Amino acid sequence: MTVHNLYLFDRNGVCLHYSEWHRKKQTGIPKEEEYKLMYGMLFSIRSFVSKMSPLDMKDGFLAFQTSRYKLHYYETPTGIKVVMNTDLGVGPIRDVLHHIYSALYVELVVKNPLCPLGQTVQSELFRSRLDSYVRSLPFFSARAG
Amino acid sequence: MSLSVLEGMGFRVGQALGERLPQETLAFREELDILKFLCKDLWVAVFQKQMDSLRTNHQGTYVLQDNSFPLLIRMAAGLQYLEEAPKFLAFTCGLLRGALSTLGIKSLVTASVASLPTCKFQVVIQKT
Repeated sequence: MTVHNLYLFDRNGVCLHYSEWHRKKQTGIPKEEEYKLMYGMLFSIRSFVSKMSPLDMKDGFLAFQTSRYKLHYYETPTGIKVVMNTDLGVGPIRDVLHHIYSALYVELVVKNPLCPLGQTVQSELFRSRLDSYVRSLPFFSARAG
Repeated sequence: MSLSVLEGMGFRVGQALGERLPQETLAFREELDILKFLCKDLWVAVFQKQMDSLRTNHQGTYVLQDNSFPLLIRMAAGLQYLEEAPKFLAFTCGLLRGALSTLGIKSLVTASVASLPTCKFQVVIQKT
């Protein structure tokens, strides 16, 4: 079980942060294009999910999976989107993504007066704490499974 | 906003805190007691923690060190943002200077940061 990578977007589609841990295959397009592709897909799938839902929507889009990986999604009321790709053995991790938002992003970026919001996060402290947190997760193993 | 304005604001707040915080009137027998008051009572009232170390040369200069200064702790753990860190210390320098002034001590307070979130405040007593 492992974590492949993590994206953090704000409400305008700016990619605030990207980290990867185990990624065997790259997309082959420049990173900027990849972020736009990811954001565009999330935007479309969110509105699709809410329109086509046969029942009243509770949490909205949560995750999708393919035969090789699972993409987990968490969005805050302010439009901050946390996207984590893991392998298939991982169950719902909404609380993990919420922790990344509240204990890492809010604490170390929003509350840091020297971090301008709406841009890629420069804070080294955020980067290193996020890295240690993901590595400490029970479903993260050092060898890609 | 210039640092001296921030320091001035801190000074005014420190003056008031120096007036209403001390619990016992006879507690300050000598200068060192006042500095200890700053490190314990004042710091706890403002930052919910005590100063981590107090050193002096016994000739009117004191160095107060805080190893995890609350205004810097969310910013970095090392050298990032080192240049901007002093801006966040100006108000606190004024705070210390104001409290000392209410307690009858004229001083000059400066701050320095070698590595976040540790910072040192240097208090030099001005002999009139």
